[in-house]
Amino acid sequence: MTTFILRRLLLLPLVAVGVSALIFLLLQFLTPAMRASLYIHDPKQLNALPDLIRKYHLDQPVYVQYWAWLIQVAHGDLGWSETAREPVAAAIRGYFPATLELAIYSFGWILVFGIWLGTQSAVHKDRFLDQVSRFTSISGASLPTFVWGLLLLMIFYGHFGWFPPGRLSLSGDLYVRGGAFHPYTGLMTIDALLNGNLGLFWDAAKHLVLPVATLTYYLTAVLVRITRSSMLETLRTDYVRTARAKGLGEHVVVDKHARRNALIPVITLGSLLFVGLLSGVVITETVFNYPGIGQWGVNASQQLDIPAVTGFALIFAGLLVISNLFADVMYAIVDPRIRLQ
Amino acid sequence: MKNRALALTLALLVGVLAIGTGARGAGAPVKNPDTFVSLVYGDPESLDPAYAYDTASEGIIYPNVYETLIGYDGSVLSRYQPVLATQVPTLTNGLISKDGLTYTFPIRKGVHFQDGSVMTPEDVRYSMLRFMLQDRDGGPSWLLLTPLLGTDSTRSKEKIVVTYAQAARSVTVQGDTVVFHLNHPYGAFLSIVAAWTFVLPKAWAAAHGDWDGTEASWQKFNNPKLQDRYEFDHMNGTGPFKLQQWDRQAKEIILVRNDQYWRKPARLARVIIRNVAEFTNRRLQLQQGDADAIAVDRPDQSKVEGMAGVTIHDGLPTLVVQVLHFNFKIDPNGNPDIGSGKLDGNGIPPDFFSDVHVRRGFAYAFDYAAYIRDGYRGKADEPNGPIINGLLGYDPTAPKYTHDPAKAAAEFKEAWGGKLWDTGFKFTTTYNTGNVSRQVGAAILKDSIEALNPKFKVDVRNMQWSTFLQNTNTHKGTLYALGWVVDYPDPDDFAQPFLASNGDYPKRNSYSNPQADTLVKQGAETTDPAKRVAIYKQLTKLAYNDVPGLYVAQPVGFAVMRSWVHGWYYNAVYGGIDYYPIYKE
Repeated sequence: MTTFILRRLLLLPLVAVGVSALIFLLLQFLTPAMRASLYIHDPKQLNALPDLIRKYHLDQPVYVQYWAWLIQVAHGDLGWSETAREPVAAAIRGYFPATLELAIYSFGWILVFGIWLGTQSAVHKDRFLDQVSRFTSISGASLPTFVWGLLLLMIFYGHFGWFPPGRLSLSGDLYVRGGAFHPYTGLMTIDALLNGNLGLFWDAAKHLVLPVATLTYYLTAVLVRITRSSMLETLRTDYVRTARAKGLGEHVVVDKHARRNALIPVITLGSLLFVGLLSGVVITETVFNYPGIGQWGVNASQQLDIPAVTGFALIFAGLLVISNLFADVMYAIVDPRIRLQ
Repeated sequence: MKNRALALTLALLVGVLAIGTGARGAGAPVKNPDTFVSLVYGDPESLDPAYAYDTASEGIIYPNVYETLIGYDGSVLSRYQPVLATQVPTLTNGLISKDGLTYTFPIRKGVHFQDGSVMTPEDVRYSMLRFMLQDRDGGPSWLLLTPLLGTDSTRSKEKIVVTYAQAARSVTVQGDTVVFHLNHPYGAFLSIVAAWTFVLPKAWAAAHGDWDGTEASWQKFNNPKLQDRYEFDHMNGTGPFKLQQWDRQAKEIILVRNDQYWRKPARLARVIIRNVAEFTNRRLQLQQGDADAIAVDRPDQSKVEGMAGVTIHDGLPTLVVQVLHFNFKIDPNGNPDIGSGKLDGNGIPPDFFSDVHVRRGFAYAFDYAAYIRDGYRGKADEPNGPIINGLLGYDPTAPKYTHDPAKAAAEFKEAWGGKLWDTGFKFTTTYNTGNVSRQVGAAILKDSIEALNPKFKVDVRNMQWSTFLQNTNTHKGTLYALGWVVDYPDPDDFAQPFLASNGDYPKRNSYSNPQADTLVKQGAETTDPAKRVAIYKQLTKLAYNDVPGLYVAQPVGFAVMRSWVHGWYYNAVYGGIDYYPIYKE
């Protein structure tokens, strides 16, 4: 298994070069003037367009631009993001922990609810719990995130004033910016605990409730459907029937025999969902003004911020490789018949 | 059983909603009384006063952190008051020379920068030279370069064409005064000084890797990239607030009170300017009192009306104009927007709009009232030319085009030797994606034109900003929508870009009228206000006759804030709020 993991990890640089080359190539379909629009914010600056093209070498051949970028990356510099107004690496370091925190909390609930509800739904097929589960999953998948998010925000912040948007309250924000706070991980709830400040922990947790609830509802729905159908298929297999014929209790049949095998597609989907969460949940971040990586990624793409888009893509290509690797390892653990080669 | 559970749940929900409302209405205690939270949309580009040229940056820089030699008298743009200078130069007090070429500013003593150093006349001179010589592509340096050096850039075709000696001669220190030596008399000079002469300390800048003020090194600092300057994200002004932090991840600027301010320190201890893209989020924070002022677009105004504890200041006169531009010489190469490229009913020739009857036909056909009603909820005025209301030389009696289909038809019947009415035309008008008022304008244009004659066809196409820029820049635009926001409140800032043949839009649209060029030059160089008024009235008339574009709206502004905010005033030039006089009570 170690060889398998190492081999997969060694693929990472190749993936990075491939992805970055592809992005550079695709961007050549845009004219230099279109790419220079990143630096034009007002009609007053229109006359500067040709100068900006020359200044940022946007009229150079693609291989020249790509080679210059590769050399820069080799020196540990991913370039400057005009949309983030800081170096790409600093932007990723800054935005990623916020998204990671959101992803971790959401993903935990998504897994718990998704697998439990999907299993119960399959076991109690066509009964009340199944109907509730199906209704939940259909409504969760069909109700747009921004509608659900805004609804939650209007009720629980606008009406009750309980769960505000953003990442911290004004007092929490000012405390964090003061000298006494040390950001160990960039994950606010964890850092609050590491700094021994329970008040700050609750403040950060309070701000996470609504975005986590929004994502959990939306993505649980997807996982419930997959778990349910996978469980239904497994429950119809011969070995489950045999287990029941042997007189095993229903919970042993479901929990030990059926669910474990039904988890294969759930692992596949789960790993993709997690990478999806990490690459930013733009709408949720926008609705709750949560400073995550998704908003920046979309903004950078819309404004043709090439260094930012390339850096963003590199990071998530890497994450995708790692998550696939994780899924492969999980397959082998869940189903020993699967051998890693 | 199920019904009972459902009923119970609903009752609980209704009950909870009825009991607990967290909204802060009128009379509610002031939240965070010494902190002002402003929610906007749009990030600042740079905090360097010689680099920034966008509203979001200006809103932070001026007049909150950096100050100018003279300033506006609150909302009144035609009156100045001394700020870092102790007197406003006039012909009467002799601080403006009779030939209009020399402006002398006695510099205030005892003013400290936020790092504690004392401001000197040399700091003022250095700041002016730095503003001019830094001259980044598309930046604001032209505002001082033009009157002082007679050129709008330090470069031509990437080569530096200005010498240090030229710049050094234009701003000199004489004792406790700083003297500006103009290249030519310029009537608008004081209004530029009031908005663009930010002062920062020379020693501080040089110590952080910026230009040291010498002739030997200035070219190295010309045309920098955004990130190349320490001042990009560090500030050291003389204003009532100083920068505590620019958190680019949280999209938040925190300003704190400058207790060493040369006037009485501000009443607010802290100002937070946060970028919140989503309107409902901003609205709810205002409602809860977590925000004191929020940015609201006109179409969303109804959503904040009647909100308890919130005040809307409406009817604010802006110096902004929205224009539909005619391109006199369209580039036909690979241009789908002109159809066949011929006058055959399926397209337009590249010089279609060079016929004045065509332009007048459009001018009479456009339904201005419908545009203002639908695009601005009735909160805009129809200007009568580029010299809009609020500027010197604005002529309320000057004629303007009104929606008149009969006159439009008459003009179109005369166009292209009388052929146009029978052959018809087809082209595509463009605007940038996401601009709702321009979208409304394009739809009204289409409806107004197509209602005149079934052979007239106007298609509408929206483009991403990048594509739109490329299109207009390469002369591919046909009839397109773009506006203008004031740099300094003087008619020259509007006459030049719209009517001079080397102006921003005429260059793009190949419009040229030698008479307009002469008048724009005269207007800029004349110092006598009465003579300038006469010149700009002439230019308004010329724009009416020539119709280089349709001046369709001058929006009326409004501001939304908590009722506990006091001391706020509106200034059409500021990018944001002057927080100095504000307090919460």
